Amino acid sequence: MSRIELAGVRVTVPVDADSGPREKVVLDGVDAVLAERRVAVVGANGSGKSTLLRLLNGLVEPTSGTVRVDGLDTRRETRAVRQRVGFVFTDPLSQLVMPTGREDVELSLRRRHRDRAARAAAAQEVLDRFGLARLADQSVYELSGGERQLMALAAVLAVEPAVLVLDEPSTLLDLRNRELLRRTLAALPQQVVLSTHDLELALDAERVIVVEAGRIAFDGEPTEAVRFYRDLCGAGSGPL
Amino acid sequence: MSQKTEPTAPGTSEKRRTWDAQSLALVAVFAALIAASALAPGIPVGSFGVPITLQTLAVALTALVLGASRAAAAVGLYLVLGFAGLPIFSGGRAGLQILAGGSAGYIVAFFVGALVLGALAQLVVRRASTRRRTLWFFLAATAVSVVIVHAFGVLGMMVNLKLSWQAAFVADLAYYPGDILKNVVAALAATAVHRAFPDVLVRRVRRA
Amino acid sequence: MRTQRSGGILAGYVAGNSWLHRTPLAWKFLAVLVAGTASFLLLDWRASAAALSAVVAAWLTAGLGLRRLAASSRVVAPLFAVLFAFQWWQQGPATAARIVLNLLLCFVAAGILTATVPLQDLLDSVARLASPFRRFGADPERFALAIAIMVRSIPVLASAFDEVGDAARARGLERSVRARTLPVVLSAVDYARRTGDALAARGLGEADDDTPSA
Repeated sequence: MSRIELAGVRVTVPVDADSGPREKVVLDGVDAVLAERRVAVVGANGSGKSTLLRLLNGLVEPTSGTVRVDGLDTRRETRAVRQRVGFVFTDPLSQLVMPTGREDVELSLRRRHRDRAARAAAAQEVLDRFGLARLADQSVYELSGGERQLMALAAVLAVEPAVLVLDEPSTLLDLRNRELLRRTLAALPQQVVLSTHDLELALDAERVIVVEAGRIAFDGEPTEAVRFYRDLCGAGSGPL
Repeated sequence: MSQKTEPTAPGTSEKRRTWDAQSLALVAVFAALIAASALAPGIPVGSFGVPITLQTLAVALTALVLGASRAAAAVGLYLVLGFAGLPIFSGGRAGLQILAGGSAGYIVAFFVGALVLGALAQLVVRRASTRRRTLWFFLAATAVSVVIVHAFGVLGMMVNLKLSWQAAFVADLAYYPGDILKNVVAALAATAVHRAFPDVLVRRVRRA
Repeated sequence: MRTQRSGGILAGYVAGNSWLHRTPLAWKFLAVLVAGTASFLLLDWRASAAALSAVVAAWLTAGLGLRRLAASSRVVAPLFAVLFAFQWWQQGPATAARIVLNLLLCFVAAGILTATVPLQDLLDSVARLASPFRRFGADPERFALAIAIMVRSIPVLASAFDEVGDAARARGLERSVRARTLPVVLSAVDYARRTGDALAARGLGEADDDTPSA
């Protein structure tokens, strides 16, 4: 199990308006150690949960504070961190770079296998493992939403990261595909950190973090966290 | 928000500055934008069959949004793949044969023009106030289209179609009204992009 | 930005082992170049029709299928129809036919290249062209990646132009160049940024040597 440490993390973005504040605070005062097999992050749109996830593989750098994965600093040792932490985005079409799944998986494997034949074989093995071989040569546009999301997942898992981070992976999926994704995630040996609006998916986790207005508002056991989050939304105290 | 700052470790300052993944994606997507705009139906104007398309608009926009080096790379990528055989030149043409026709001068001008206009755009972003940006973008784009694009275009028609410079000049004149309109739109659109996505060029220029 | 339609002729590798699949890439590339020349050399519509028939015959004997040919031509069909009508009006039916047939010839020929060569192979070949320039700072790997993203983005952006055109029409703004351009550009930048994020997250697209700690 990898150990992800966030210490005193603050993230701000500059604001270019001619007047008003010069920066906007996205996350503040975030301290957490993630070492559970399944962690879910919930929160309203704009709460900062997406930024929290992006910190984990160096897509966003903390303005102050540090983020470490197994002791590796995400700012200075970005490459090593990214080999350890795979990232899956909400929209698989912005993630799948190549026109077919097979080519995309091969793209992931470029650094690992310089030899073409070895790369092709490794890609085939990955596609077989996820039951995607049948769909691998179709245009990614012809796949269903769920198939695309699984393809994006396979391309990321091809390089065997220790940790998998997923940013709202089920938001664009229908009920059936969401269940397929849930089953696939449950079967993964990887450590998983995901953000979601889907409270059922959150309840599958061992630990749930509620992010509200850039701060961790609750961190703990899933049923309690979900109850807390429901109260928070119901009370209408959210910023949106 | 997700724009990653460049790693600037001591000892790497002398190294060739390489683009991050964001820039790579921007270059590739803008090359695709130029291709997609060239595939929209052209409006042939004048007697020598050089069609007006949204393409010149896309090229100007690419320069104003990306700045000199990345805009030149985007236009270069577009041209190389078009020459290599992807049917992405205006009207779905492809291949090096494009250089044999009446548009050859304009094609060459895209690259040079993007480089110059991109440099001017960086200057505007650095020097001009946010409110005046659209006006300066428009002036820069118009200067570049007169001094570079139309000059190369006339030259191309003279060389390839064996026209006198007067005839080529008259043939080229037909594009001016369209170009003015396109430069207005490019300037407005570029300003909108910089407001919506300040990290694409504005912060990059200010940080440098 | 999302599209349900297939990627069209630009993203159409069809797995197979036909004679065309086995033909070396260089020969097929040469054939595309020749087809490109044809649109400047074939000056009689009958010659263009004959050349197009030959290319379509090659397409069919390679087992690529009539249905796929129709599907990939669908993207360019409206453009060619408008062009045909316009050129008929301007230059008469024979010239109009010649121009459109020559265009189709280029499209089908280029389509054969992309349908029988996996994009990865195509890219590897073009990227190899960059290798001699490596000492001037060219990086074939990243060049190949840029090509892949560009080729993949063309149908996405083309359909964005379509969609925005429809939306502009619905609001009575079909004559506004601005209304038909700005939304496409903004979504293109957004799309580029998401793509850039996805590349960075996968450790792709960054130069090999610029991370001091790697």
